[in-house]
Amino acid sequence: MTGGAVTGRAARLLATAIGIAAASGASRPTGARAAAGKPALAIVGATVLTAGPQGTVAGGTIVIRDGKVAALGKGVAVPPGAVVINAAGRTVMPGIIDCHSHTAVESGINEGSDSVTAEVRIADVIDHRDVDIYRQLAGGVTTINVLHGSANVIGGQNAVIKLRWGSSPRDLVFQGAPRGIKMALGENPKRANARATGAPRYPGTRMGVEATLRGAFQEAQQYRREWQDYEKKLAAAGGGGKDKPVAPRRDLRLETLRDVLDGKVLVHAHAYRADEILMLIQVAEEVGFKVRTFQHVLEGYKVASEIARHGAGASTFSDWWAYKIEAQDAIPYNAAVMAARGVLVSLNSDSDELARRLYWEAAKVIRYGGVSEADALKMITLNPARQLGIDKRVGSLEVGKDADLVIFNAHPFSPDARVETTLIDGIVYFDRAADLAKRMPAGAPVATGGMR
Amino acid sequence: MKRGGCGAVVMAGLAVAVVPHAVDGAASSSDPRAIAITGGRVVTVSGPTLAKGTVVIAGGKIVAIGETVAVPRDATVIDATGRTVYPGLIDAMTTIGITEIAGGAAGTVDVAEVGDMNPHAKAAVALNPHSDLIPVARAAGLTAALSAPRGGLVSGQSALVRLAGHTPAALTVKGPVALHVTYPTGRPPADEARMAGAGAGADLEPKTFAERQREKKKNQDKELRRLAHLLEEAKAYGAALDAARAGKMPPPRVDLPMEAMVPAARGRMPVVMAADDDDDIRGAIKFAVERGLKLIISGGAEAWRCTDVLKKHDIPVLLTVDRLPRKESDPYDAQFTNPGALQAAGVRFAIVSDQSTKARNLPFEAAMARAYGLPADAALRAITLSPAEILGVGDRMGSLAEGKDANIIIATGDIMDHRTDVTHVFIDGQPQSMETRHTRLWKQFKDTDPGGRSP
Repeated sequence: MTGGAVTGRAARLLATAIGIAAASGASRPTGARAAAGKPALAIVGATVLTAGPQGTVAGGTIVIRDGKVAALGKGVAVPPGAVVINAAGRTVMPGIIDCHSHTAVESGINEGSDSVTAEVRIADVIDHRDVDIYRQLAGGVTTINVLHGSANVIGGQNAVIKLRWGSSPRDLVFQGAPRGIKMALGENPKRANARATGAPRYPGTRMGVEATLRGAFQEAQQYRREWQDYEKKLAAAGGGGKDKPVAPRRDLRLETLRDVLDGKVLVHAHAYRADEILMLIQVAEEVGFKVRTFQHVLEGYKVASEIARHGAGASTFSDWWAYKIEAQDAIPYNAAVMAARGVLVSLNSDSDELARRLYWEAAKVIRYGGVSEADALKMITLNPARQLGIDKRVGSLEVGKDADLVIFNAHPFSPDARVETTLIDGIVYFDRAADLAKRMPAGAPVATGGMR
Repeated sequence: MKRGGCGAVVMAGLAVAVVPHAVDGAASSSDPRAIAITGGRVVTVSGPTLAKGTVVIAGGKIVAIGETVAVPRDATVIDATGRTVYPGLIDAMTTIGITEIAGGAAGTVDVAEVGDMNPHAKAAVALNPHSDLIPVARAAGLTAALSAPRGGLVSGQSALVRLAGHTPAALTVKGPVALHVTYPTGRPPADEARMAGAGAGADLEPKTFAERQREKKKNQDKELRRLAHLLEEAKAYGAALDAARAGKMPPPRVDLPMEAMVPAARGRMPVVMAADDDDDIRGAIKFAVERGLKLIISGGAEAWRCTDVLKKHDIPVLLTVDRLPRKESDPYDAQFTNPGALQAAGVRFAIVSDQSTKARNLPFEAAMARAYGLPADAALRAITLSPAEILGVGDRMGSLAEGKDANIIIATGDIMDHRTDVTHVFIDGQPQSMETRHTRLWKQFKDTDPGGRSP
């Protein structure tokens, strides 16, 4: 068999049923939203790397109904009337989750005019037409954590989105994903001080970074007390009359930080050096919040036990190093050491380009530190899902979970690996064969090998 | 089983001349310093792959290679059974040796001289043999890299660096190798940044497309005239030097930039021009052909769009694979399929990292090209023999053959597979340490966690 994963009648059915994503951003699927009421989809014959309790299923069948995995296993019956994707000889894995992305953001990821900007939200500036959404689908990515930049000690709020190419900004949003916020330590918030024009911005040292953090959260504690007092007096007043208290002034910045203290907003903290990782843990434990993930965390291997004790996850690069001073001690064994020490580890891209090859980033931790293939796979699927609080929905292939999955021509860690088809909510958003078919005749020569 | 010659052992004093070949291709058994790598799958690149081959090294060279080669009696034998033996990888575009920490540590970066006209800036004189980047690249299987200055219009001259040695001279295999020029695109820097994917912060000024194109053309023509003029001047300067040497006239005034440009202007030294867009690559070729320059294109993001002219003039290309497509409307895999397109069209090319700290990922760039249509053997050639040939050292390195420099690596499997380990690296026949800054820090922290609050 050669050609794409979706062949013959199945391809036509799929194309008419859902509108397959077309080549290179030129056209987008329309109405590719609700899969409800559509015929079931069955992917048959593939080696399925589930990243879940079923482990690896050879020659497995995945039945998808209403956007969810309805059945998965060897010998699972294909429902009558189902659209069948023959994936014999191919490998299926869960959709890749990138826990650190800046894709699909309208002009600018840093509200860099202040060192605390908890009130701004990436969800307000999502660019659903960003072609990198499509390019990342073609690399098997299905969910990304779109973060504010690292110019501020406390940056803006994140947006977790699914790469439903062709959908409106609102429909990209991963409904039900917990809110999150970006924090940043070290060189970047310091460096933001060295702006080309205007007055220098505080902080300019790691001392100032700590003070900014502590100050902001002490204000948030005070803000929370004021509102608690108000609610108490309001309740006592019985809802009216002369005793009705005056409400404190609402402050969107402090309100967000209060929500952090209340555990309603997950903290994703950009950090490099071991000392500042410890600093944030100390401040967080003092003022009363938990760091959900340390991002980059390139010296995490030096303080992995402390990270594990605090209960934070770590989202790191596989092998970036020495691109700045605070990355000088970065080692590619970082993920392996942290994982061995009990830290929940994911591998991220922080790059529109690298996001397209996260499956190989995961393969690197096998080489560097001897992580098992199963655990390496989880570092780009289940682990980031857990870090983002969306693991009940995505991150592994299990009955009842969202049908977000990738079909590869070979094992994703092998040097011949190429993404053939990517599905989100059971809908094909990328299909290489369809992409090739829609290319201009004078386009780039293409790989037509299919299976090897 | 290994008998001696473990990767970490550095053998003493191998600075001897090539050992004369013994009859039947076997090394002289009287040379106690010979090394024989036996039992492994030997991927020669220039010849057939040997299912179970022996490679004999002496005097820094490969003195015998084959399936029936006799192991010299006194040789140190390295059993490579179950492993794969490759020629050392060559990265034909890096800043290794002239940069340490690219960001926020300007004191460690010697890549771009002040001004935009620095033909006399030579990487070979500024190489740091003790850079942490060298062992890291080496442990990944790289044995040589081109270290090239960048920036400005004429950036300087590159050196081919051997990834072992304690002095700049010891590191330098060949220097200068080429004159490096940034083909002027005419685009203002903000546009360049945007094209390179810098995205926000590089917003366009409000101008029409036509205005933009006119401005670009004007700037580009101006810069090209400057470059053309300089090359003419350099030729004249070279002629004056020749005449002075012949006693026909007094020597011209000392002008180091001019003197440095003479070999390139005369078409003797290659000129590497960084060009990515279709029209810029075509422009660079036209410019070079008109002036008889020996052109190599680097970058080459849209080389797949101009294979016709690259093939016609036999211009080699140094390709970078790990980039986004140049244009939003390009196929998503335009960079991944680029090498395959050049291969199919018969254009010579090498795959390069165009970086420093990421040079160790060179085989994985080749793998991406392979996953998108470049045959596996061509992908390997693109990081071994092809770069050697393009840099003018194909007779010395890039493949495993008798008489070549003994730059050899042993891997646990396919070198383009991320899961493969490199177990041995030999440069000029010397076994290299596999220790790096990274393995040292790993060893220091992997079993103990001295950070933390509890002692």
